[in-house]
Amino acid sequence: MGSSILTATDLSKVVASAEGELTILHELSLELNKGDSLAIVGASGSGKSTLLGLLAGLDLPSSGEVTLAGQALSALDEDQRARIRAEHVGFVFQSFQLLDSLNALENVMLPLELDGRKDARERATQLLQRVGLGQRLTHSPRQLSGGEQQRVAIARAFAAEPDVLFADEPTGNLDSHTGERISDLLFELNQERGTTLVLVTHDERLAHRCRRLIRLEAGEMVAPLEP
Amino acid sequence: MARLPLLRLFSLAVRQLLRDARAGELRVLFFALLVAVAASTAIGYFGARLNGAMMMRATEFLGADLLLEGSSPARPEQIRSGTELGLEHARVVEFSSVVATDNGIQLSSVKAADDNYPLRGELKSTPAPFAPEETGGRPNPGEAWVEARLLTALDLKIGDSIDIGNQTLRLSRVLTYEPDRSGNFYSLTPRVLINLKDLEATGVVQPGSRVSYRDLWRGPAPALQTYRDLVKPGLEPNQRLQDARDGNRQIGGALGKAERYLNMASLVAVLLSGVAVALSANRFATRRFDASALLRCLGLSRRETMVLFSLQLTVLGLLASVSGALLGWIAQLGLFALLHDLLPTTVPPGGLLPAIAGIGSGLVALAGFALPPLAALGRVPPLRVLRRDMLPIPSSSWVIYGAALGALGLIMWRLSLDLVLTFALLGGGVVAALVLGGLLLLLLQSLRRLLARAALPWRLGLGQLLRHPLAAAGQALAFGLILLSMALIALLRGELLDTWQNQLPKNAPNYFALNILPNDKQAFTDKLLELSAQSAPLYPVVPGRLISINGEPATEFVTKDSAGDRALQRDLSLTWAADLPAGNVVTAGTWWPQQPPDDVPGVSVEGKVAENLKIKLGDRLVFSVGGVNREAKVTSLREINWDNFQPNFFMIFQPGTLKDLPATYLTSFYLAAGHDQQIVDLSRAFPAVTILQVEALLEQLRSILAQVTLAVEYVLLFVLAAGMAVLFSGLQATLDERIRQGALLRALGAERPLLVKARRIEFGLLGAVSGLLAALGSELVSLVLYRYAFDLPWHPHPWLLVLPLLGALLIGAAGVFGTRRALNASPLTVLREG
Repeated sequence: MGSSILTATDLSKVVASAEGELTILHELSLELNKGDSLAIVGASGSGKSTLLGLLAGLDLPSSGEVTLAGQALSALDEDQRARIRAEHVGFVFQSFQLLDSLNALENVMLPLELDGRKDARERATQLLQRVGLGQRLTHSPRQLSGGEQQRVAIARAFAAEPDVLFADEPTGNLDSHTGERISDLLFELNQERGTTLVLVTHDERLAHRCRRLIRLEAGEMVAPLEP
Repeated sequence: MARLPLLRLFSLAVRQLLRDARAGELRVLFFALLVAVAASTAIGYFGARLNGAMMMRATEFLGADLLLEGSSPARPEQIRSGTELGLEHARVVEFSSVVATDNGIQLSSVKAADDNYPLRGELKSTPAPFAPEETGGRPNPGEAWVEARLLTALDLKIGDSIDIGNQTLRLSRVLTYEPDRSGNFYSLTPRVLINLKDLEATGVVQPGSRVSYRDLWRGPAPALQTYRDLVKPGLEPNQRLQDARDGNRQIGGALGKAERYLNMASLVAVLLSGVAVALSANRFATRRFDASALLRCLGLSRRETMVLFSLQLTVLGLLASVSGALLGWIAQLGLFALLHDLLPTTVPPGGLLPAIAGIGSGLVALAGFALPPLAALGRVPPLRVLRRDMLPIPSSSWVIYGAALGALGLIMWRLSLDLVLTFALLGGGVVAALVLGGLLLLLLQSLRRLLARAALPWRLGLGQLLRHPLAAAGQALAFGLILLSMALIALLRGELLDTWQNQLPKNAPNYFALNILPNDKQAFTDKLLELSAQSAPLYPVVPGRLISINGEPATEFVTKDSAGDRALQRDLSLTWAADLPAGNVVTAGTWWPQQPPDDVPGVSVEGKVAENLKIKLGDRLVFSVGGVNREAKVTSLREINWDNFQPNFFMIFQPGTLKDLPATYLTSFYLAAGHDQQIVDLSRAFPAVTILQVEALLEQLRSILAQVTLAVEYVLLFVLAAGMAVLFSGLQATLDERIRQGALLRALGAERPLLVKARRIEFGLLGAVSGLLAALGSELVSLVLYRYAFDLPWHPHPWLLVLPLLGALLIGAAGVFGTRRALNASPLTVLREG
């Protein structure tokens, strides 16, 4: 319990809809230690993204609690949660989500700067070299291919040395070959830096590279925590 | 798929529109059009109705809508054609006559009016001198209403009798106001108003006596026009037609300027709407790229796709325009209700034209600004359904800007009806936009280098601007245009008010003194000084008639019923002066140096008269003065400011020229209200001097200017509101992208203050740059406008330099407020996308 970085206790999410209340997640609990990797799989609408949002503190549960890096998230307001995210969390998205107005280097510098780091430029340059984009520092996102954009996103996700990295369908918008290379990169970096990885995916092969796996169906966990 | 019939497309378009409306997607475009059409309709109505109201006031100066004036009675058929058209008719005969009493005699200006007089406005009178005024009524047969001056001059009181010719009349009231007493100040002596039925009994009007016959007409505009057309060809040389517009120079000038100003303001409103429509139509199109690609995949042809979206926009445009016109109509009703104390009781309703023009402007703006982005929709490749990054080939910029300019030009032309001005403004606008836009691009490029190592909020805030310099320049130009429009309207408002204010300063002369005899000249001046009345110099006046130009009879030079003709029909007030009088500017030739005249003395001629009589520098003019002919050579032409209520002269001779002739003197002076007794004393001390009070006329003019001023301020408010609405719709156009960015930055851990700071920097800088553009642009445009549209002297306006600051504050605040949804966007939305 002492080395757990992320815990969820009895998490539920209920939203109002035209047909009355709709339960998206039902009393879900889990615990992750430093360096763990967890895959969340399930059909569309099973509640995967909702769970990811709650774990990352992007949203608050209807009931239950998430503790991230020792902080109970429901006790914090949005700006305090942003602070937690800046210090402890990294993201990789399906649609890359790079800022068009910034170039590759500036995109990677962004989380470092949000954390107030002075060596942002140097570290971002090193990371981009690490993901193989050392020659593309000043390119804008529009000038990069999908695979290259996701590499920039991965570099950005690891830039601030997060404790937990959340990845939402990281290979979903890529062809299988590029997707393979991206997931290799993700796991390499994860191992190098001892980051905890939580990823949502449809891709069973990617899911099975994680040490743990949960399967969601209609908001409930149906598979054991260990693969 | 088979070709879809238009009707099917139409119903599809309407259904899609309804669906989209529910989704809230088209609200921005609808709102932009609504505001624009409402503003332009309200201004249109306001202008039209106020103009109508002011025209009605102006007709009061004539006492009628139309006036047929002559030195002989109107021919029976001239009266018959008017009555047959259903026009109301009143008849007035004016002449000078001696009023005799036991106490003495006084030359007076007698007006004999029938029972219909006046047709516009009302007489005002008091039962005793300086008693409260009552409105309405007219003297009955056997009665006379006289001005208080006559009572003073002849030591009379109400109830006494006076003789005019063979007729004895009883003084029943003191006349204080005649709606049509603008006329010619210089020929006025105390007024006596009698009933027309008594005229014959006086026996004063005989063939050959100098009499003015005035037939007053009132009725609807078309009938008046018909009457005008019928009567004009048969006018006698001594007859002329007059309506409110030629009735009074001062009012004509003020009306003309106000009308141009209101048109300018509605142009600005339409301009702003154009920007708003362009921004939101662009958003409409961009958001429909996917739908368009899908429809093409489903088998719709390019043309059908285009028609479908065009129909959607057209239906939307019609709905928005009609609602906007209705809203505008209601807005102006509210304004008139608010101002009902100040305005005449009956304000003409304004008709349907302003509403139709407003709707038309809205639709033309929609077509001009929305078609180019719409055309892009037709070019969306169907492959986009598979590859979202495929964008349509952009329209050639020539098409985009050409269409927008075409639409603008059309609207401007309709509003100002002045092609030269329209093209000057459009051309100037394009050149200014290109030059300023180029400068802006350079500025942004250099800024980009400078900011590479700036702090995070600065790079976040400016990243957007610098990464897309072309879009940023466009945005700055659009915001600049809004600020420019507002600055320009404010500028013109101030300038117009100043001009009017100068025209009627607080101490504009409110009295004229005529017939001052040479012996009384010094004493009268001393008396005025004693009263500390501000007086103009005393001008000598010798009545004279122009009889020949370069040896040819002067009448050969003019056409019947022209202004030149009228100048020849009566005695001119000839004067001489060593110095150019205030308010006069020499436009050709030179004012005489201080030296004795040559053999042939010089004369300076007023420019308009010179033009009408085709008089040039060096021409020899012969005047008949008191039975003697005098020759003079034209040495200069002058332009006169007629608005200043100072004595003005068509002909000024070199000093000494007319000295041997019997002259009287005239002047104008200002004496604050409440000095009635002093005026009475003054006229007692100088019985021969005629003192005219023009206070009533000044008051009328001031109240009209107050109305115009109010209108001008209201319109400024409207343009401001339209500008703000447009600003917000402009911000809305970038909102999608900002929400996505805001959510992402939040997800990555950015706190709200950082985002707010970045926004402030972005919009503050954008506002400052827009303000700078607006300052430069306003100076440029005002230069053109002052010169060609308003005839005002131009000088630089240093205060325009507050515009960058104002822009930074205004657009900064509006930007942060308008995009607050992006700041509050839940970071969760990043997961929902893609």
